[in-house]
Amino acid sequence: MELLNVDSITMKFGGLTAVGNFKLKILPGELIGLIGPNGAGKTTVFNMITGIYTPTINKIYFQDQDITGIKPDKIAKVGIARTFQNIRLLDNLSVIDNVMIGFHLHLKSNLASAIFKFPSYVREEESIYHKSMELLGKVELEKFKLEKAGSLPYGQQRKLEIVRALATGPKLLLLDEPAAGMNPQETKDLMSFIQKIQDDFDLTILLIEHDMKVVMGICRRILVMDYGVTIAEGNPAEIQNNPEVIKAYLGVDVNYA
Amino acid sequence: MKKQNEKILTILALIVLGILVYLAENNLDAYKLRILNLGAIYVTLAVSLNLIYGFTGQFSLGHAGFMAIGAYVTSLLVLPPYYKEMIYILEPLAWPFTVIHAPFIVALFLSGLFAAIAAFIIGLPVLRLKGDYLGIATLGFAEIIRIIANNIPRVTNGALGIKGIPEFTNLWWSVGVAIVTIYIIKGLIESSYGRALMAIRENEIAAEVIGVNLTYHKVMSFTISAFFAGVAGGLFACLLTTIDPKAFMFVMTFNILIVVVMGGLGSITGTVLAAFLFNFFLEYLRPIEAGFNIGPIKIPQVPGMRMVTFSALLLVVILYKQKGLLGGFEFSWKGFFQFINKLFKNKRSSEGSTM
Repeated sequence: MELLNVDSITMKFGGLTAVGNFKLKILPGELIGLIGPNGAGKTTVFNMITGIYTPTINKIYFQDQDITGIKPDKIAKVGIARTFQNIRLLDNLSVIDNVMIGFHLHLKSNLASAIFKFPSYVREEESIYHKSMELLGKVELEKFKLEKAGSLPYGQQRKLEIVRALATGPKLLLLDEPAAGMNPQETKDLMSFIQKIQDDFDLTILLIEHDMKVVMGICRRILVMDYGVTIAEGNPAEIQNNPEVIKAYLGVDVNYA
Repeated sequence: MKKQNEKILTILALIVLGILVYLAENNLDAYKLRILNLGAIYVTLAVSLNLIYGFTGQFSLGHAGFMAIGAYVTSLLVLPPYYKEMIYILEPLAWPFTVIHAPFIVALFLSGLFAAIAAFIIGLPVLRLKGDYLGIATLGFAEIIRIIANNIPRVTNGALGIKGIPEFTNLWWSVGVAIVTIYIIKGLIESSYGRALMAIRENEIAAEVIGVNLTYHKVMSFTISAFFAGVAGGLFACLLTTIDPKAFMFVMTFNILIVVVMGGLGSITGTVLAAFLFNFFLEYLRPIEAGFNIGPIKIPQVPGMRMVTFSALLLVVILYKQKGLLGGFEFSWKGFFQFINKLFKNKRSSEGSTM
């Protein structure tokens, strides 16, 4: 049974079709890459899966449950987490708070017990704190726990955002250009980090990325989009030799070359 | 420092505050007491506005409206029935209001409750708006409340207002309510729910995608904020002993907003400080309105000059301290002792250098 089933969805903004007839089935444990030139509609796909947009036509199913048009916080609750292309951290909150907020959707204490600090609430908060520190340890950010998230260097902000997504306890993780702005060494570390968290947290990952080394290196299946439609699908080798893909990226005819 | 010790220190500080209130109540004249009372009521108002604006990031301008609801609820509940008959001259008071009567504390609680219910009803649709639009919508709500108060003379006595409200409010009440407000709002902010509120302030989309239910948290924050504004409205009515719709014009909200911005968005300590400073200065600057001389230049008497001065002061604060007087700073015992330690260390080291 597939984890996510995107059933040929279409997203229109007025007269513009940002995404047309997009189909995607993800099996548990997969690591799939979604690539394509700028403006191809990749992030729009993410926005539809996470409930920020509702597809104009057709539906999205997660574990056979229809999640089309459900609010983003409910989607987080069923087990889909994401990061953003332009990092969206809670800049003025501390690093540890940025991770602890990820556990908010699993919070059991009610408002009164939180305000008046009942023992049950204090225990829950402490356990959230320890879990958060453990997660921060995985990216070696423990020592920055009290720094403001916005003051971290760029690469560490990206890691923090991934850790925050992990804190929500997802089954499916959507990463939007995690390697953007990283140097070759950081990119290499990121690749092994993504594979490590996939094993550690038993995750299924869908990844948008422009850095072909990353995509070709860790994804076993790749989807290519251009102008809102899927133009190719297959393993890295197939994608690299697909004339449609080369055309989309380079804009030249393969026969001519 | 241990949590236990901090608790003891807080209790000691409260006892000292209690002694100060006792001394003030017995030694100060009515004029000074009025200013202190207003200061304490402003603490309640501004801390509650800071919850929705400073911590949740929702620009709400409806505080005067919630205050008005609280003020009228308290007035109608604490006025003795025979007295109500006397003051409703134009049109008699409508039925249930003629007989209802409650002790001050119950009246205050119900004031908060009614303001909170109003906030819940208005908040559900309105909190979908963002930024300036939310500000305009909540401002509109406050104006509607005021205009309704003006136009249902059988409940509110219309533009004549309600006079002769028993003067129940003293420093024990106003300071007590301020402390309860601070305690509850601080407790909320320092909890995981407070973290969710600040997440909404920082980045709404990120908060939602992490699993923070925007509607629930915004409406919760708005409702709690309105509850305390309502209670403050009740205290306000029983301090001034007379209320009419004009008391709850936009200027009221604006004053509270000045306090919040001056004190620092997201700082309770700053808000408390600014609330008292605001009320002291408002009185201290009174002579300005009477006209004065700067050397040979004669400044004539200008009513409203105080507010002009205040706006200028606000401009200076915004220009030089964008985050308000205290920014995001918050008082804590740990910080307090670190500060004292540093003070003494500096002294010692400077003494050492002179030797």
